[in-house]
Amino acid sequence: MSDMVVATRPAREGLWQRIWRRRTRNYVIAFLFVLPALINFTIFRYLPILTTLRASLWQYSLLGGYGDFIGLQHYRFMLEDPIFWKSLRVTAAFVLLKVPLQVAFSLVLAVFLRQERWILGVVRSAIFTPVVTSMIVVSVLWSMMYHSQLGLINSLFSIVGIPRQAFLSNANRALPAVTVMMIWKEVGFSLILLLAGLKGIPEVYSEAAIVDGANRLQIFWHVTLPLLRRVLMFVVVTQTIFSSQVFVPVYAMTRGGPLNATKVIVYYIYQYGFLFQDMGYASAMSIATLVILLVVSGIQMRAFRSEVEY
Amino acid sequence: MSISRLVGLGARKIIEYAIYLAILLIFVIPFAWMILGSLRNETEIFANLYPFTWHTIVPIEWTLKNYLDIFGLSPEGQSYGLNFQRFLFNSFLVSAAVVCSSLVVNTMGAYFFARLDFPYKNVLLVFVIATMLVPFQVTMVPLYIVVSSLNLEDTYWALILPWYASPFVIFALIQFFKEIPKELDEAAIIDGASYWGVLRHVIVPNAIPGIITLALLEFQFIWNLFYWPLIAISNNNLQMIQVAISQQTTQTQVYWGRTFAGATLASLPVIILFLALQRYYVQGIALSGLKG
Repeated sequence: MSDMVVATRPAREGLWQRIWRRRTRNYVIAFLFVLPALINFTIFRYLPILTTLRASLWQYSLLGGYGDFIGLQHYRFMLEDPIFWKSLRVTAAFVLLKVPLQVAFSLVLAVFLRQERWILGVVRSAIFTPVVTSMIVVSVLWSMMYHSQLGLINSLFSIVGIPRQAFLSNANRALPAVTVMMIWKEVGFSLILLLAGLKGIPEVYSEAAIVDGANRLQIFWHVTLPLLRRVLMFVVVTQTIFSSQVFVPVYAMTRGGPLNATKVIVYYIYQYGFLFQDMGYASAMSIATLVILLVVSGIQMRAFRSEVEY
Repeated sequence: MSISRLVGLGARKIIEYAIYLAILLIFVIPFAWMILGSLRNETEIFANLYPFTWHTIVPIEWTLKNYLDIFGLSPEGQSYGLNFQRFLFNSFLVSAAVVCSSLVVNTMGAYFFARLDFPYKNVLLVFVIATMLVPFQVTMVPLYIVVSSLNLEDTYWALILPWYASPFVIFALIQFFKEIPKELDEAAIIDGASYWGVLRHVIVPNAIPGIITLALLEFQFIWNLFYWPLIAISNNNLQMIQVAISQQTTQTQVYWGRTFAGATLASLPVIILFLALQRYYVQGIALSGLKG
């Protein structure tokens, strides 16, 4: 009995303190669970942006380190750099060509391949395979397929009598050729999302439409598509952001050429930072691209919100 | 049913299957050309290109020579100093290290956000989620500046450390953890389990499918990484397989057989994993899209 009295006395005096201390202790332990991840994001995701902001205001090269403070000179140079603007145009052209086509293809495929039949399962697996294959393998493979003399595509063309073509070395065809390859690689990704979206639509809607005498095209247009809008917008927003950052195919297939026809912005940044050794200018362009992409995705997301709300 | 309708139905079936076959071929032929091309002599690849026949794709004479070359096991491969096993080893090492560390760190982080009590937890969540909005490729140059100022460039650490935590994985795991009934971990806490004990014995065993999915996605992401190892690693002994095959093609443009063999090795592990665990993979992507 006396033991208990001794034990409870300090508790009565400091009950709130004890609760407080225990709570703090729990908070500290809890925080330890998330701390490693937070350290990672601080050092490897947030710090780079701050460092880049700094590097963009200095003369900075990989070998020489920081030089003089030059303020906004990089940014001024950027505004007058015709190749910077050209690379933004090339990037925009690529995105505007690729994203709508890819979404349209994956939508059609999703409608035709949605049923659970083994043959469709095989076709779906085949379409997903390029998605998991690395970008560089696909790029290397397709640059061989596009080869003007030894490529598989010209061999296939010869079946129907089309003469040999140059693809990647032709300034007018290089970007469309890269785009076709990128759609081939990534159509399966949007297909997975759209298939999941289709699965989420209850059968009753299309059944009701059939009762009302609608045909399949009408059901697709007036029932399925509106119900799929949320997923569709997600696909459009994410594909726009991903596609704006295309780098590997340009690096592996065309090196930005011919005549800068495929010089997308991320490749141009790479070229300045690592080939021309001008990290300062590369940083300024990174910051500009970052801002542009954040604005674009902000606008898209806002459009997405307002469409979903009603 | 009249005969003409029956014929019509049959014709429709044939057209339907023809379309499936066409789609299948569009996606399979490039891979078939690559894999089968790695199993034949180079001269054979070029000699059978025109006109297009069965043997444009399928070898006449099968050989492993290209593989012996890139592994440096043939005299020719040795004379070029080819050593692909080293690149494969690097890729496996880095992928395994990232998948393991990221599973521990992200699981802990997701448990914190899904279950634990902390002031201003939502602000921290925004801090994590906001990193997903930052365009990935655009921040590679900035990331390089940080990594080189930490003197980590040209080490395995440069390949592992930036990826040991992922906002995407944390976010997805939070969704999985939220589906586990809260009563389970509350009961364990009353029984005297620590947070760590709850995570190990209650949360993780109940989220195994989700964890497999994310481990798979993470492995694919790291294995396929190209831009980051390209700029972060200049020591050829530490290079990952994806960069190695691209350098192989640019330096020795003519050696198509070796390029095919390297590309096959660089993509086969992920393709096999994907085909074996396709259900998890599809679920993972669908989850990220539909809940995100």
